[in-house]
Amino acid sequence: MTTTETSPNPTVTAPARKGNPWLPTLHGTFLVTRIELLRRRPSTKGWIFYGILLAAILGLGILVSVLSTAEKTSTPLELVLVLVLGAGMLIGPSLSATSINGDSGEGVLAPLQMTHLTAGDLAVGKLLSSWFVAFAVLVTTTPFLVYAYARSGWHLGELLLVLVVILFLVLTATAVGLAWSAIAARAVASVSLAHLTTGVLVIGTLVLFAFTAPLVSDTMTETDRYVAWDELSDEQSTALEDAYNTGDFSAVDPDALVCDEETYEYGIAHTERTAWMVLINPLVVIEEVSPLVNPLTFEEDGRAAPGIFANVHQMVSSARIGPTEADAQMMEYDECADIATMASGDDESADGGNAYQDTWEQQQEEQAMYPRTPWLGLGLQVLLLVGAMAIVTHRLRVPYRTLRTGTRVA
Amino acid sequence: MTILEEAPPITAAIQATGVARAFGSVQAVQDATLTVERGKVTALIGPNGCGKTTLMLMLAGLLRPDAGEIRVAGADPRTDSAAVRAAIGWMPDQLGSWDNLSCLQTLTLVGQSYRIPAAQARAKGLSLLRKVHLEEFADRPTRVLSRGQKQRLSLARALVHDPAVLLLDEPANGLDPRSRVELRQYVREIAAEGRAVLVSSHVLAELDEMVDDAVFMSKGRTLGDDAARMVAHARTRYRVWSLDVDALRRALTDASVPFEEAEGGAMVSIADEAHAQQALAWLVGAGVPVHRFGPAGSALEQTYMAMEEDRR
Repeated sequence: MTTTETSPNPTVTAPARKGNPWLPTLHGTFLVTRIELLRRRPSTKGWIFYGILLAAILGLGILVSVLSTAEKTSTPLELVLVLVLGAGMLIGPSLSATSINGDSGEGVLAPLQMTHLTAGDLAVGKLLSSWFVAFAVLVTTTPFLVYAYARSGWHLGELLLVLVVILFLVLTATAVGLAWSAIAARAVASVSLAHLTTGVLVIGTLVLFAFTAPLVSDTMTETDRYVAWDELSDEQSTALEDAYNTGDFSAVDPDALVCDEETYEYGIAHTERTAWMVLINPLVVIEEVSPLVNPLTFEEDGRAAPGIFANVHQMVSSARIGPTEADAQMMEYDECADIATMASGDDESADGGNAYQDTWEQQQEEQAMYPRTPWLGLGLQVLLLVGAMAIVTHRLRVPYRTLRTGTRVA
Repeated sequence: MTILEEAPPITAAIQATGVARAFGSVQAVQDATLTVERGKVTALIGPNGCGKTTLMLMLAGLLRPDAGEIRVAGADPRTDSAAVRAAIGWMPDQLGSWDNLSCLQTLTLVGQSYRIPAAQARAKGLSLLRKVHLEEFADRPTRVLSRGQKQRLSLARALVHDPAVLLLDEPANGLDPRSRVELRQYVREIAAEGRAVLVSSHVLAELDEMVDDAVFMSKGRTLGDDAARMVAHARTRYRVWSLDVDALRRALTDASVPFEEAEGGAMVSIADEAHAQQALAWLVGAGVPVHRFGPAGSALEQTYMAMEEDRR
């Protein structure tokens, strides 16, 4: 080392290059990641800020664990996971979305493009360095995460799976930010577009799902039957009133009652046709890889009561299943038939309620335990990741054929 | 010009023929032809916006030409762009540096980007920093550098991989007079090592003493032999100042030497330094009170001005 340092003109050995390679290499990717992380190295102020943040999270974790009851609950864990996803999806793209047009504006991109680094090296290196910062957020929340996990009734494998998926979603969002940065000339534009993309996926899909419901709605006709009180004789009215008050229907002759029919129309949304819009939502993807919780047997299963994720899964499943015959049956009301059943004496009114209750519970359980499908959402994410990186790599390849309008090479 | 005699056999490091490039509807470079030879410093001269930087970017392998042929160190940027970029040290006109990183870190990391082992890259970085007089900034972040210092760091960065060809885009911009002289000497040294250097600048007096060849560019075209002839002609122009202007002009007229009138004396054409010595001796011998005698300013500047006037 000392000998080379004192030599007036040290010789260097750089390997020769051929053609115009663009694929990422291990050496190049690591080097670019290192350069980018060194450039983003926090200042003293930054470290103090992170210290305070970590202390606050630790404090919050201790506070919540002291105040809380011993009962199992998955809500804190779900909150942390949503926070980590949210923070990652904000921070990752914010950093990556200024990474290419910003560097090009500062004049530090082209000198690197002149070196042995390939377009792929620059693309992947920049992606990873922005993503690492989002990863650091996850690490910061670890103390709270450990506590929240301990009470959640989740298994370790399930938590790790969700964390891996969260990191993957953040990676994709970061890649999309990087792509915008490669396309747009101004940092303002690329940052807004990156967040807009995230917004469309997180909020836009839900809004779209809600607004498309009328388009997939069918009109159903339903007939309800009521007792026509006006046309009853006085004895009949008195007997029926008594029966309702006492619950003893033996004095009523159901065949003699006059019944009115009323037919009306209502719409049902065939959400099974639009459920895919919800399934591509990143939050839904997270929920769809989280463990299923049976609302009837969660205690025996060693789970906490259904939390946010379980409830969302139930709603998503309900949307995926769409309207069922059971729904239609539950809608119909036939007073005369009910009276006939009760007059015959073999069915108590409480039982009728139970049957309804059973159907409802069965439906709840069916929805809660409906198989999870993160695949559509994950598939879209893979597509976004690959597409974004293809755009970035293509845009970074030199010699440039075309330039972004309003930019210079250096 | 002893440097040239010591230099290795001259072969063209850059050969460009009929190069053109448009950005949308703007034809930045229309028809550029130039040769840059090893061991020589070649100037690229032209007004702002005439396509110098665009041409340099194409030579550097960063921009694809629409038409024309380019060979850099024997490689075609179209098919062998990586080899072209590896052979070139490029100092861009835009100064950019990684604010948070130190000067030495910057050079080491750029060296590593060329796949030079870290220890070697560091050693090279240190020696280059010493060369451009930035060694006291080796461990300080580049954001503290002044414009001129950044310029020197940029030059050092262009040299980390010992390139065979050096492209300098406006290297003298923002340099103080002392740094300019040092830059000139350094560039000559680099050429003496057998590297080819292409310099663009509009500080023409500076270039005059630095370059072996000049390529003039205007409105996207290189001006070939005409401009070269004009430079050659400009180099022969001498200016004579006399205390007695009439005596000087009479002497010249009597000896039927063609001259142009100039303030305080006359302009004459003299082929070389030996002839200049004889002419001065003759004038003094003829009793003309000559008090100043020398080349008529920058040859490149004269050519540039003449060229610009022609185009108006």
